[in-house]
Amino acid sequence: MNQIKAIIAGVALMGLAPVSQAQDTAVKTTTVIPVNNKVQVAFRKVDKKDLAGDVSAVGVASQMNLNYMTTSLENMDGWINGFNGNSIWGMGSYLLIIDGVPRDAGNVLPTEIEQISFLKGVNAVALYGSRAAKGVVYITTKRGKPGNQQINIRANAGVNVPKAYPHYLGSAEYMTLYNEARRNDGLAELYSPETIYQYASGKNPYRYPNVDYYSGEYLKNSFGRYDVTAEISGGNDKARYYTNIGYQTSGSLLNFGEAVNNGSSDRFNLRGNVDVNLNQYISCNVDATAIFYTGRGVNANYWESAATLRPHRFAPLIPLDMIEPTDEASNVFVKNSNHIIDGKYLLGGTQLDQTNPFAAIYAGGNNKYISRQFQFNTGVNADLRNVLKGLSFRSTFAVDYNTSYNLAFNNTYAVYAPTWNNYSGVDLISSLTQYGQDATSGVQNVSNSWYRQTIAATGQFNYVNSINNRHHLSAVLLVNGFQQSESAVYHRTSNANLGLQLGYNFDHTYYIDFSGAVVHSAKLPEGNRTAFSPTASLGWRLSNEPFMRGVRGVDDLRLTASAGILHTDLDIASYYLYQGVYTTQGSWFGWKDGTGVQATESRRGANPAMRFPKREEISIGLQGSFFHELVKLDGNFFVNRITGNIIQPDVLFPSYFTTGWPVSSFIPYINYNDDKRVGVDFNLSLNKKLSAINYSIGLVGTWYKTTATKRAEVYEDNYQNRQGKPLDAIWGLQHQGFFRDADDIKNSPSQSFGQVKPGDIKYKDQNGDGIIDTRDEVYLGRGGWYGSPLTLGLNISLRWKDLSFFALAQGRFGSYGMKNSSWFWVDGEDKYSEVVRDRWTPETAASAKYPRLTTFNSDNNFRNSDFWLYKANRIDLAKVQISYDLSGLIGNKKIVQEMGVYVSGFNLLTLSAERKLMEMNIGSAPQTRLYNLGVKAMF
Amino acid sequence: MKRNIIIFLSSVFLLTGCKDLLTPEIENNQELGNYPPNNAGLPFGVLLNGYNRIPTNSWSFNDVATDDAVTNDQNNTFLKIANGQWTANNNPLNQWGNAYAAIQYLNITLRDVDTVKWAADPVVSKLFAMRIKGEACGLRALFYYHLLQAHAGMSESSAILGVPINLDVQGTNSDFNKPRSNFDACMKQIYSDLAQADQLLPTDYENIPNASQIPPKYGTVTKEQYDRAFGSAFRGFLTGRIAKAIRSKAALLAASPAFSSGSTTTWADAANYAGEVIALKGGISALSANGLTWYSNASEIAGLADGANPSEILWRNNYGDNRDLEQANFPPSLFGNGRINPTQNLVDAFPMANGLPITDAASGYDASNPYAGRDPRLRMFILVNGGTAGPNNTTINTAADGPTNDALNKVETSTRTGYYLRKLLRQDVNLNPNSANNQRHYKPHIRYTEIFLNYAEAANEAWGPTGTGAYSFSAYDVIKAIRTRAGVGTTNGDPHLEQCRGSKEQMRALIRNERRIELCFEGFRFWDLRRWNAGLGETAKGVSIRNNNYSVVNVENRQFQPFMIYGPIPYGEILKFSSLEQNKGWR
Repeated sequence: MNQIKAIIAGVALMGLAPVSQAQDTAVKTTTVIPVNNKVQVAFRKVDKKDLAGDVSAVGVASQMNLNYMTTSLENMDGWINGFNGNSIWGMGSYLLIIDGVPRDAGNVLPTEIEQISFLKGVNAVALYGSRAAKGVVYITTKRGKPGNQQINIRANAGVNVPKAYPHYLGSAEYMTLYNEARRNDGLAELYSPETIYQYASGKNPYRYPNVDYYSGEYLKNSFGRYDVTAEISGGNDKARYYTNIGYQTSGSLLNFGEAVNNGSSDRFNLRGNVDVNLNQYISCNVDATAIFYTGRGVNANYWESAATLRPHRFAPLIPLDMIEPTDEASNVFVKNSNHIIDGKYLLGGTQLDQTNPFAAIYAGGNNKYISRQFQFNTGVNADLRNVLKGLSFRSTFAVDYNTSYNLAFNNTYAVYAPTWNNYSGVDLISSLTQYGQDATSGVQNVSNSWYRQTIAATGQFNYVNSINNRHHLSAVLLVNGFQQSESAVYHRTSNANLGLQLGYNFDHTYYIDFSGAVVHSAKLPEGNRTAFSPTASLGWRLSNEPFMRGVRGVDDLRLTASAGILHTDLDIASYYLYQGVYTTQGSWFGWKDGTGVQATESRRGANPAMRFPKREEISIGLQGSFFHELVKLDGNFFVNRITGNIIQPDVLFPSYFTTGWPVSSFIPYINYNDDKRVGVDFNLSLNKKLSAINYSIGLVGTWYKTTATKRAEVYEDNYQNRQGKPLDAIWGLQHQGFFRDADDIKNSPSQSFGQVKPGDIKYKDQNGDGIIDTRDEVYLGRGGWYGSPLTLGLNISLRWKDLSFFALAQGRFGSYGMKNSSWFWVDGEDKYSEVVRDRWTPETAASAKYPRLTTFNSDNNFRNSDFWLYKANRIDLAKVQISYDLSGLIGNKKIVQEMGVYVSGFNLLTLSAERKLMEMNIGSAPQTRLYNLGVKAMF
Repeated sequence: MKRNIIIFLSSVFLLTGCKDLLTPEIENNQELGNYPPNNAGLPFGVLLNGYNRIPTNSWSFNDVATDDAVTNDQNNTFLKIANGQWTANNNPLNQWGNAYAAIQYLNITLRDVDTVKWAADPVVSKLFAMRIKGEACGLRALFYYHLLQAHAGMSESSAILGVPINLDVQGTNSDFNKPRSNFDACMKQIYSDLAQADQLLPTDYENIPNASQIPPKYGTVTKEQYDRAFGSAFRGFLTGRIAKAIRSKAALLAASPAFSSGSTTTWADAANYAGEVIALKGGISALSANGLTWYSNASEIAGLADGANPSEILWRNNYGDNRDLEQANFPPSLFGNGRINPTQNLVDAFPMANGLPITDAASGYDASNPYAGRDPRLRMFILVNGGTAGPNNTTINTAADGPTNDALNKVETSTRTGYYLRKLLRQDVNLNPNSANNQRHYKPHIRYTEIFLNYAEAANEAWGPTGTGAYSFSAYDVIKAIRTRAGVGTTNGDPHLEQCRGSKEQMRALIRNERRIELCFEGFRFWDLRRWNAGLGETAKGVSIRNNNYSVVNVENRQFQPFMIYGPIPYGEILKFSSLEQNKGWR
């Protein structure tokens, strides 16, 4: 159905072409050829020198010569001021656009990208409407250029090496400390010294297992990554084309069972763009992309199990030669088993570990994740200069289709728990208990089928004209809309807006720009669905003024300022939130032993006055170039407020106005919360040629501060108010060391998180009420959830003859983290990590760094407090690359015109007081360093 | 030029069909009022919302925060409150949100019930309105009872406070800052609602043989009209009988030591209300013979149909075929998670089969063979070392040196006390993943045994062990019947019971012990201890068996403060509404 609509709409759009054509009679060719000094901004490209301050851009295509990247937004916080990895100016959820259409960053690889623009301020994003209100990242892909056919080939081979594995205690040490934990709890020891001795001796690892999940028995030292890309482009004045064909594949670390052959993933992509001038007035483009991704895996989450399964629990494999020959029953098991590993072992397990990662990887089957993405854009341009000089019309239409699903062979398997006996010093298995059954159904299961369709269309009139080469005018009038529908999601994600941009600059000295949009959202009540978002910016190139002409060392200096109000429905979670509604599709109630009917449930109270949340902002920018382009500076100061964020204010109503089950609420959604952000970003670069060496050093930075300026809240103690605190505030208790003894506990405020004993964490009673509870939680620091408060990026390029060097480092400062992973918070039946060695005992009370051990849940110790808080300051050396241009070595350049080789290292180094913690993944595959060798050639 | 724009806009809107772009796609949202005559689903669903919130719809197992049991689930919220985490801010027994939300929905029902056309036939519609009004009143009383149980308590000035009484639908502009009514006012409200329910509802929902059976309160209606409104199709909904039983529960609470100083309900009232339900059932002889094993009477449960109740059950929810309880509580060797572990304290509460407590020198209790010669209910309810369980009557070894995972503390699903739960579980469930099967279960809201025990407790206090008030049976008679059914003291004339007969205090202790045993693991003990002002700090104990030597071990402390005989008002509500007073001790 949607496809039919798409075709109809496409035809309708195509139908515009003749209409426009009919009005044109003059003869001139319009070409859409990208010029390198043009930067993509909202719905148009502008010269770099006329770019407003709140837009930054990076030319990925030219970067790739020095810095081979593997993902589209790789290390962009090291290039772009104001962008800190997951948000722009700390606002979160920006809109990512590829060639004018909302898409995912993973839809495109760096080899396909020409340029990425970061539209930060209100003036820069206004034309994109409601869903762009928190910034836009615009990726422009490469297109063909007139000229001879060019073929670029690039191939890379790399190796991923894990950075760090978590270390856990072995069986004997675990048992010893578990006994200590039992004693701490006033309980009898569980493991006898004899048992512990047997595990410690390591004589029979099958009877007394001591499994190290991170050992070389199960894991490789490294895994490979390979890619190859071919780009073919060329054309003439009439038509131009660009094609990109890429393939990449990557392995995994698991090295046993089915994982050996089912650990790789590969991605194949195909992109083709064509630009055609149909006649002097009409040109069009057709772009298509297809991406095929296949990931293979086993039916077990090995890394998650590695963080939880204790080493003594079971031996993954049971040796057949240790089964008593006379044990008939066991021999029948062996005979009937489908899974004799290496001809020597049965799969091990226990009653509680009937399914376990080892057995699952040997015998549980395998799965594939398959993703297909198709993207299709068209655009039509009509030159309307004979209606009005400088006027043109462009319309675009795009359809994307993403689909993915899993295919799996899910086999069940039997595991065996041995019963051991010892005959004169020799351990033998006297019987086996079977759990589960071997069964290979041969059925391939399809699951997680998912699709998402995006339809986007725009239409715009452009006006660009210069009068006497001094008065530069521009205008855009546009309509813009997109819609995404997703499988199993009833409502669609939509954006619809009209936009008007009016710009004028006098001699590139005085700039004024108005950009406004009429945005529409069906999420708001009738009457409030449409809002007008006006923005304006001013610019003044001081360096053009007579009084600056004499100033030496200033090549270019410009001040810009912008301000505006954007309306957005980005954070309105759903439709009809303004309506007080009841549903008759509530929880079921059955009587008379029948199925019953569904109850009526209130979903929310009514708020017919609901309106758009607003982003109001003022920003000031400075751009300059000094000392013959030796130094370039670009920076912004911004202050913005996002007001009227929509919440259901629980604190204004009794608790029973909202219940979790049955789902019910009588509370209306209202515009209430206000947030404020203030920040500065800068990009300072140095370019110099010293003798034969070209230097280029860039330093970019973003500093920002957030404040929750208005909150609906009721706290007894003012220090608990969220209002006035950062948006990413971490809250917790303040600790005062460990309880020394029973007297210390008796003389301290009582702690309400369970019974405490000496060696437990003692907390500060903030409100002096004699009881420690959540009311004593205070603001501890910023979590950096929208990027660290201070992000710095440093990039260095050096070129000497044919040899060049590149390095990129990032620094992130000012945020805090909580050591709250299962590696740190060890209690109950958890796997013991090496941190527990520093535990509190009466003997080590003075030096202990970790609370006493317990076999209960330690809710007292394992909760947010500054005991677990750490500074997340870090500097990462993200990339180093050395490239050598071999073009000079090629004698005859008829076939191969350029050639180069490079070696690079990714994620090489982290400097931080908490480096170990930052490099270690708990419960997931490890972080890796990638060492890469690449070659490229142009034909 | 305009033409272009028009063409363009129309093409954009054509392609999107306007859904969610300009106007939102239609959702099946409805509003109250103006109920359409052909669809009473919306207003009826409002009443069902109240039913969905009945706390006894599912098992809570707050018994693991008492001296009866512990759990091996370290994340259990009841375990945490027993271990000192119970605060006004952290209250897993909180009824405030659930019960008041239910009351809000029931108030909507009571406001709108007369404006709804429940059926095309105006007579039937009026009967429906009577029934629904009666149900809503009865349910509202039930929720106020649960609110009082969980939140009523003593103020700083030692007054017994109830909870605020909301009888009107609250909107966003209502005044929420209402003080708590005193306890007795809440009880009066409960009685008045129950009286109205009893007046409007039939005793049971049954089709009647002929019109002469129609109670006069429904006026002149035909059999068909009566059956449509009050027939067997509504079994499971609240009836007059249920309203009477709720009154018995509420009165027992109000007459109990923890609340009696703030209550005008006397023990005699409580005895009379329970007696009324028992008399309606048919007197003392109506105590269901197989009521002890109500959860495992396989053929009886298999025969359940159309909401009919077994003789032990006064009110229950729908049956379901599943194995969730067994999955949670079977011992690990039977592939269960061994969750609820009965304590040594509870095991010791079971007398010998001869009726004598194990502490009695004459009882014949042998500490080295502790499960021999005991009250048959012990092995029925609790899986002791050497007891059998599961579809194959597997002998379970819970000794600390036992070879399987059933051994004390062996793995995370092992028992922590040396005992596993046996009550409530169907032993004919097989959990072995290779051949797992379900069995039929149901959850009672009210069992007759509870009402009998309510009577015994109240009658003993009001009239002494052998006093009968207006009825023909005494506390002694009830306990005798219950112990006889259990097989206790049946061969020797139950000397312990006969001894208790002579003393109200001894009888009280015996009744409380029988209540503990009969109703164990059904969510009674936690609140019973509190309404009796009984000690809350008794350490939960277990048994460690090595080489056949039994030694009692401490398993878990009970960190309750004395003021915790009353639950807290939610901290957040105290903060928001200044007129709400917290119970003494809670902060």
